[in-house]
Amino acid sequence: MFKAIVSAETLTSALDSISVLVDECKIHLEEDGLEIRAVDPANVGMVDLSLDASAFESYEADGGLIGVDLSRLEDIASMAESGQLVQLELDEETRKLQIQIEGLEYTLALIDPDSIRQEPDIPDLDLPAEVVLEGKDVNRSVKAADMVSDHIALGVDEGEEYFYVDAEGDTDDVHLELTEADLIDLQVGPAHSLFSLDYLKDMNKAIPSDTEVTLHLGEEFPVKIYFGFAEGQGQVTYMLAPRIQSD
Amino acid sequence: MEFATFADRAAAIEAEPADLEIVARTSELLADAGDDSEERGSADSAVEPQTVEIVARFVQGRVFPAWDSTKLDIGPTTCYEAIARAAGTNVGSDDVEERLAEVGEIGAVAAGYEFGGQQGLGAFTGGGGGNGAGSAGGNDLTVREVSETLADLAAAEGSGSQDRKIDLLFGLFNRCSSEEARYLARLVLSEMRIGVGEGTVRDAISEAFDVPVERVERALQVSNDYGQVARVARDEGREGLDELDLEVGRPVQAMLAQAGTVTDALEEWDEAAVEWKYDGARIQLHSDPEAAEADAETRVFSRNMEEVTDALPEVVEFAEATLEEPAILDGEVVAIDENDDPLPFQEVLKRFRRKHDVAKAREDVMVRPVFFDCLHAGGEDLLEEPLTTRHERLRAVLADGEAPEQDEDEIEGLSLLWTTDDPDEIEAIDAEALEAGHEGIMLKDPDSAYSPGRRGKHWRKRKPDVETLDCVVTGAEWGEGRRATFLGTFELSVRAGDDLETVGKVATGITDEKLEELTELLEPHIAAEEGQAVDIEPEVVFEVGYEEIQSSPTYSSGYALRFPRFLGVRSDKDPEDADTLERVERLRA
Repeated sequence: MFKAIVSAETLTSALDSISVLVDECKIHLEEDGLEIRAVDPANVGMVDLSLDASAFESYEADGGLIGVDLSRLEDIASMAESGQLVQLELDEETRKLQIQIEGLEYTLALIDPDSIRQEPDIPDLDLPAEVVLEGKDVNRSVKAADMVSDHIALGVDEGEEYFYVDAEGDTDDVHLELTEADLIDLQVGPAHSLFSLDYLKDMNKAIPSDTEVTLHLGEEFPVKIYFGFAEGQGQVTYMLAPRIQSD
Repeated sequence: MEFATFADRAAAIEAEPADLEIVARTSELLADAGDDSEERGSADSAVEPQTVEIVARFVQGRVFPAWDSTKLDIGPTTCYEAIARAAGTNVGSDDVEERLAEVGEIGAVAAGYEFGGQQGLGAFTGGGGGNGAGSAGGNDLTVREVSETLADLAAAEGSGSQDRKIDLLFGLFNRCSSEEARYLARLVLSEMRIGVGEGTVRDAISEAFDVPVERVERALQVSNDYGQVARVARDEGREGLDELDLEVGRPVQAMLAQAGTVTDALEEWDEAAVEWKYDGARIQLHSDPEAAEADAETRVFSRNMEEVTDALPEVVEFAEATLEEPAILDGEVVAIDENDDPLPFQEVLKRFRRKHDVAKAREDVMVRPVFFDCLHAGGEDLLEEPLTTRHERLRAVLADGEAPEQDEDEIEGLSLLWTTDDPDEIEAIDAEALEAGHEGIMLKDPDSAYSPGRRGKHWRKRKPDVETLDCVVTGAEWGEGRRATFLGTFELSVRAGDDLETVGKVATGITDEKLEELTELLEPHIAAEEGQAVDIEPEVVFEVGYEEIQSSPTYSSGYALRFPRFLGVRSDKDPEDADTLERVERLRA
């Protein structure tokens, strides 16, 4: 069984952070909250999301699993005005999700979870550098890099103790340095990796500008991007595999 | 089988100029496709599709069985985008297009890039191989993975599906070597072009699995899937192939006709089966009134095996009202006006592939099916039965079960078939067909089997008149019986200097109504009568069609028109404007 009431903002934030990577996903309806894990078709980018029961106005679930078409669910959620509540209820008989928004009733057909790509194993990575910064600095870095290139290098200068962003285009380059003073926190370690902006741009869309974001970095290793939403009762972790640096 | 192996083999086949060698190499490729249960390390032999099936399709640049109307629906731009993304830093799809303009072929363009720059998360999870560059996915790409990913890609639909297709395709290219990318690019754009045609795969299956080529051919005809035939030939041999049957709902290729003449037909066959030739669009109707509720009872396919069921509700309604047993019928759908008279082909096309507003289109153009062949009825395949037998089954299938004595021409949707060895009768049928607004006639060997996909000599569409002759009418005969008061069998002449020389007689292509008109026109010019024969002063010019011009001692010109038929009176022409013997000689050459 599953029955929950949640604010439209919280629901939309959760869905948006998944839909930047995949069109369909499995949602685990655990007793203490929702869990979603998904990986893009090329196995390059991954998302791990949890939304605690406390983020809901009311929440009842007993460990079921459903498959949803994200764009359909996002469309429905977008019918809610700011501040409105969305009620979700699983009809066990028909395997459909009953959604109510201020008198609007919507019945969403679910997808067989077995037909959705397998959930990824989360790599257990020991990443030496940790950078904590504001969401708006991540947004700004990605936006600047995208102006000149389709790739972005993220790294930490151990000697000078700063976090940097590099993007090299055919003609123009972008370079950004953020020192400890600009950052919320910095743990220095050997870190330099190149990432595809195709992916990072999409992930960046889900990162709110006023959120604290934690990046874990290594040398030629995936980046782990962590941030909270719904007043910390929702957590998103992205993981993105690097490109091989050709120089 | 790894996709790299497939790419190597494809390259070797492409480099091979000799047909026999191409067959031999294709045959080795099929034989080496391997046993999937071993590949997967499990005893599950029911893996679908098996690698050998995939390979048999891939070598021809196909991803799906020929009967399957699933399309990848990948535009060139989508493919360029995916290649660009996988190709490395700052390569855009415009770079790919630029190279394509230089090189001219997408395979060569793809092979010019280095792929695999994007690593996959799999490379960092510890287990799972992680060989080589540790590119996305970790392990080497297999033929099966390519096939499965392309199937996922074809299934993507709705908003954002284009992005999803690019993502999936990027994932594949990213795992390719340059040489693999060459064949992947060609495969997704249906431009395989390694010199492997349908005949090559047929022969290769025969060679690889030691089964007679004609059994392979038959199996291909009924199953319409090179993949399935390759697998069955390997796993079950000749017996397995012989057990493959038509399946209601799985279209087969249509049998096709050559151009031909009445002369050829009557020379080669004792008798010819004659049918009207409809100016419509070819359809194949699959209907199973006993189908489980979940399955579509009736499906309609085009000549190219595209599904057109939704565009032609009249055909579905017809089938559901008429058919009482499972059947596969071959026919045409014809556009008609409110008097049930046929409209030109262009009108049918307004309906044929329509996906939207079918109900509205139906108000504008009505269509009606006409069937001329029956491939399967009541659980029985009829491909190998003679045409006349198949036509009898067709009649039985379409006839109203409660009126067994019903006349053939009262059976709705039945194309009539006459069997005759009399050229005059054939001409009369042709004249009737034209009169009814149809295209002419088809001539078929009454004993021939149905050969899907073959443009054989068993079916002939009568060649339309390439050239017509304007001849002077110089004689005629009074008719007999009912036609005793009409002139008929008109003697035709052409000019030779100031004289007229005869080239033949025309008696066909003329309705009774027309005969009456012509008699009125010609009677005033009768110069002499002897018995039924009359001489006519050269005053009237006929336009005449014919099949060919032969040398002949019968007529004074030294030539004779074979199967001449009346097309009309050239009232705008005087005898001095009629065609000359010189033109007849020129046309003969």
